[in-house]
Amino acid sequence: MRRLIPSVVTQSHGLQRFMLLLGFGLVGLFVFVAIFAPWLAPYDFNADRAGGVVFGTQQGPSADHWFGTTVGGTDVLSRVIYGARTAVEVIVLAVVLSGLIGVPLGLVSGYLGGWLDRILVLIMDALYAFPSLLLAIVVSIVVSGGNSGAVGGILAAALSITVVFVPQYYRVIRNATLSVKAEPYVDAAKVVGVRTPRILRKHIFSNVSSSLPVIGTLNASEAILTLAGLGFLGFGIEPSAAAEWGYDLNKALPDASSGIWWTGVFPGLAIVLIVLGATLVGESLNDILNPLLRTRGADTSEADQAEIEQEFAELEGTDASSLEAAGAPGPGLDAEKKVAALSLTDLAVTFRTDAGQVKAVNGISFDVAPGEVVAVVGESGSGKSVSSRAVLGLLPSSAEVTGSARLGTRELLGMRTGELRPIRGDQVSMVFQEPATALNPVYTVGWQIIEGLQAHQKISKKAARARAVELLELVGMPDPAERVDYYPHQLSGGQKQRVVIAMAIACDPDVIIADEPTTALDVTVQAAILELLLSLRDRLGTAIVLITHNMGVVADMADRVVVMYRGTIVEQAPSRQLFAAPKHPYTRALLDAVPHLGQADGPGLVDDNELVLKVDDLVVEFPGRFGQPAFRAVDHVSLEVRKGEVLGLVGESGSGKSTIGRTTVGLQQPTSGTIHVSGNQISGLSDRQLRPLRSRFGFVFQDPASSLNPRMSIGQCIAEPLHVQTEMTQAEIDAKVRSLLESVELGGAYAERFPHELSGGQRQRVSLARALSLDPDLLIADEPTSALDVSVQARVLELFTELQQRLQFACLFISHDLAVVDTLANRVAVMQHGKLVEIGPRDQVLGHPQEDYTRRLIAAVPVPDPDEQARRRAERGRLLTDIS
Amino acid sequence: MATAEVLAPLEPSGSEPSGPRRGRLSPLARYLLVRLALLLPMVWVLVTMVFLLMRVIGDPIQAALGGRLTAEQIAERKAEAGLDRPILTQYWEYISGLFRGDFGTTLTDNRKVSDILVQNGAATLELAFWSLLVAFAIGIPLGRIAARYRDRVPDVLLRLFSILVYAAPVFFVGLLLKLAFTPFGWPSSGRASISNELILQDVHPKTNIMIVDAFLWGEPSIIWDVLQHAMLPAIALGLLTGGVFLRLVRVNLLQTLRMDYVTAARARGISERRVMNKHAFRNALVPVVTVMGLQIALLLGGAILTETTFEWKGLGYQLSEYLIKRDFLAVQGIVTLIALIVGAVSFFIDVIVAFVDPRVRF
Repeated sequence: MRRLIPSVVTQSHGLQRFMLLLGFGLVGLFVFVAIFAPWLAPYDFNADRAGGVVFGTQQGPSADHWFGTTVGGTDVLSRVIYGARTAVEVIVLAVVLSGLIGVPLGLVSGYLGGWLDRILVLIMDALYAFPSLLLAIVVSIVVSGGNSGAVGGILAAALSITVVFVPQYYRVIRNATLSVKAEPYVDAAKVVGVRTPRILRKHIFSNVSSSLPVIGTLNASEAILTLAGLGFLGFGIEPSAAAEWGYDLNKALPDASSGIWWTGVFPGLAIVLIVLGATLVGESLNDILNPLLRTRGADTSEADQAEIEQEFAELEGTDASSLEAAGAPGPGLDAEKKVAALSLTDLAVTFRTDAGQVKAVNGISFDVAPGEVVAVVGESGSGKSVSSRAVLGLLPSSAEVTGSARLGTRELLGMRTGELRPIRGDQVSMVFQEPATALNPVYTVGWQIIEGLQAHQKISKKAARARAVELLELVGMPDPAERVDYYPHQLSGGQKQRVVIAMAIACDPDVIIADEPTTALDVTVQAAILELLLSLRDRLGTAIVLITHNMGVVADMADRVVVMYRGTIVEQAPSRQLFAAPKHPYTRALLDAVPHLGQADGPGLVDDNELVLKVDDLVVEFPGRFGQPAFRAVDHVSLEVRKGEVLGLVGESGSGKSTIGRTTVGLQQPTSGTIHVSGNQISGLSDRQLRPLRSRFGFVFQDPASSLNPRMSIGQCIAEPLHVQTEMTQAEIDAKVRSLLESVELGGAYAERFPHELSGGQRQRVSLARALSLDPDLLIADEPTSALDVSVQARVLELFTELQQRLQFACLFISHDLAVVDTLANRVAVMQHGKLVEIGPRDQVLGHPQEDYTRRLIAAVPVPDPDEQARRRAERGRLLTDIS
Repeated sequence: MATAEVLAPLEPSGSEPSGPRRGRLSPLARYLLVRLALLLPMVWVLVTMVFLLMRVIGDPIQAALGGRLTAEQIAERKAEAGLDRPILTQYWEYISGLFRGDFGTTLTDNRKVSDILVQNGAATLELAFWSLLVAFAIGIPLGRIAARYRDRVPDVLLRLFSILVYAAPVFFVGLLLKLAFTPFGWPSSGRASISNELILQDVHPKTNIMIVDAFLWGEPSIIWDVLQHAMLPAIALGLLTGGVFLRLVRVNLLQTLRMDYVTAARARGISERRVMNKHAFRNALVPVVTVMGLQIALLLGGAILTETTFEWKGLGYQLSEYLIKRDFLAVQGIVTLIALIVGAVSFFIDVIVAFVDPRVRF
């Protein structure tokens, strides 16, 4: 708490800070009054006379009795002051007790699950649903028969309140535990054999505990109200033993009808103020600490930007000024300007943040002609999405946009929302990255299409509906007349994106801005959606601004390419020209970093080496929900990996490839079949039996943001497997951590840093170091680079290959990206719907696939070369299907 | 170009993974069955807990009548009430009684608890109705305003307001209301003037819901009298619940407002008002309704205090009377009754959620 208070005060600002400080002030005041009550109060709380002089009953405020006297003839001020003491004692006791009981219960219940969890949830839910005051009354009768002395009474009141609040702590902590438990860093700890108590302490409690101050303060206010309610109904503390505001209010109630206000108003105000104080503190903490309510910052961390920046600086040499020069549109592009559908000139976007002004876009200019596809490419933080949203005025109010964005002859910037509204969706429309979230889940897709139509056209409901069906048909939705009445969750990902596109073309817009339209989709679905966008362009002559990070998609689609880097355009050129002869060094590096399917000369076979991983006839099923059959994620799969060999396991989402990886390291129990690692059977072992074997394998997780415990330093993260699995001394461990950090090309100094200070690429290096710390025979890498930008990905893959060559571990490399697998796998296995479709040497599977599905998969991958891609597109023809 | 193939329907319509599932039960029926299956154990746990707690206190007859009867008389009364039998037998009686709608009989005035439900439950229902009316009238529009002007003056004032009404105990608000209104002769206790209450005894059919009875009787002055009596308790309890609703609506609106589909709707040129009403507010309702269901418990807890404050003769008033008399058989019956009401309300809320959120229905 001592560290928490200053840190939240500095994090807060303006009105929020005022509310927080007011809250702290009020709570502090009451705590002060509680502690010093005997010195502050003019009389004892029960005294009805001083020096033999009787106070008299129901006397109004006077010099002797500032707040008057009660119906019992006692001094109201003294009772209010002593009441603070009772309240604070009960609250502190109740909050501590409920925390002590509720937190461990929630942790254990959430982490262990099973029948214990179910029974606890049932009991706690029942307690929670019940009126809390009633529960407190029942408990207080049980504890004390209703009335008792000071100590006993306070304890009884605290206990009654505790029973009421244990469920709240339990629920919050259990839910937090459930979500933390699913974090990859907890899996990472399990993989190396960390025992449950340590996981609960080091990984779960430390991350869950941040919610405690919030529940603690909010519960404190409820506790005061419950205490007062108990007192009001006569179930609190014996009135002669301690002063209690609720009791006083009860006694004051009949006075109210006869106009005697002071007996009730002062104790009532005391309750209001102390609850107000505690609630203000709790609410402000919640606002400051709850990430859901925080104003959204940049998507990438500063470290990520620094990493790309460094990359860029290396390319640029020392001359950063050449950046500006390359940013200007080249000659020969002027000709197209005359007919531009959308034209940006010197567009700049600045965000006002708490940390000052942040320039997101730095004066960019480019045009899109009708019927033209212009791709805007760049890595994280390049400002490509921000600039497109700025055009339609969709940025939050903290953004300041300058420059010019002309739609035909009309200037869009500076328009009021009312003027922009008729343009949005009618002349300029957008396709979003994530179709699952771009559609409103509570309306049918037809309703949403019709809404868009009626926003711009005078059209009857019936006609609009007919048009919606027509649009769905146009975008290739099967059974459009039926599916127009479907809710979004009833459609597959590809179908949802088709709906989003249908809405985008509903009013025949002049320009479609497609922001990463296929990033969330599987590669075969991506191919179909890109095909659809191109055909719509051909038919409707729409100009398309395609924002993407995928160079293959650019080569597939774009007529012209705009390359962005940190808010600036570094190069723009016709697509063929850009791919053939990139001018700017950044573009060159970007293109070099993209793995190109079919052009890698990856490693050959190592069939003579000893077997490390042997998976035999593996079946993994997940139990179905109520009334539904079990889901078979892995269906009779057998495969093996040898020492020094990389087996690339590829497939689309839901193909079961990650489940195989998790089962291999014991994170998931197989339904049937066996798994051997270095000759030891590991399937069917208990955690205890498996623990000594865990040093044989390492695991690298997909998401660099969540695979390291945010509360542990990099050094601690890497050292954890060594602590758990070896007898090394601290000095030996430190030395090993340093050498591991150096082997992943991070200096030893990184050991002191925390994960949030590192970029995504650096974090994946740390993950790799952790996975390799025990010199495993087998490494499972689950999509280790798919969350990284291409240039960062290239470096991590390079490092991975080098380490793998040197250390000769066997590796199961799980990826959806065929081109990545192509660069580093000796052999490749292809999965679909839980089944192994094809397995064999890399050049055979990727070069001369035997199975239809593999062929389709390969045909759907766009390669970063416009000419080759055009040829591939023509060839693939009927192979395309919307498997989603 | 493969355009023709691409634009043709790509999925064989028989094999779609999603779409309406064909099973014996509709998804809605299955959902409701699951909710019911989850609810019954919860109610059972509550009811059992009440029984056990009430037995821990000791002998209810001794507690209620200890001073007034001789030892023999108490033993006789205990045998009469079956309290001398093994605890499992009593538990069985209690549970099977619940299935017959028998919640036991009070000790002090020999009333059937089920009669208390009929007579006093109606009053609580009426109070809950009026205060929910106030709560919705306060919580929903003000919550929307607060979300709309996030972090600006109206928002800050409304949040302070919501914290204040939450911080003020309902009996203190009641006391302030009494102080403010009694000087004007505004009625501040009971459900109607005594004379009118006597008149309404003769209404036929009698619903025990005062306002309905008043309308059935049809005399405007009586209707006005009943409304006047309801106003202060409804405001006191409604303010408390309304403050909670306000915060709920605000937080959930703010969260839905940052969803992609809201931006997407704006990008389609949907008007700001429509975006707010149809996209943000409607979606924010899903969590709001769920949490409002939990607030019913708060409302019932508050009703005990409100009814005591305004001498509103509902379940809570009756309960606190029996608590003071130490009539624990009556307390057990009423508390059990409230447990069942809580269960029924949460099932009702699940049904509402199903109608607000299509993901539950299909």
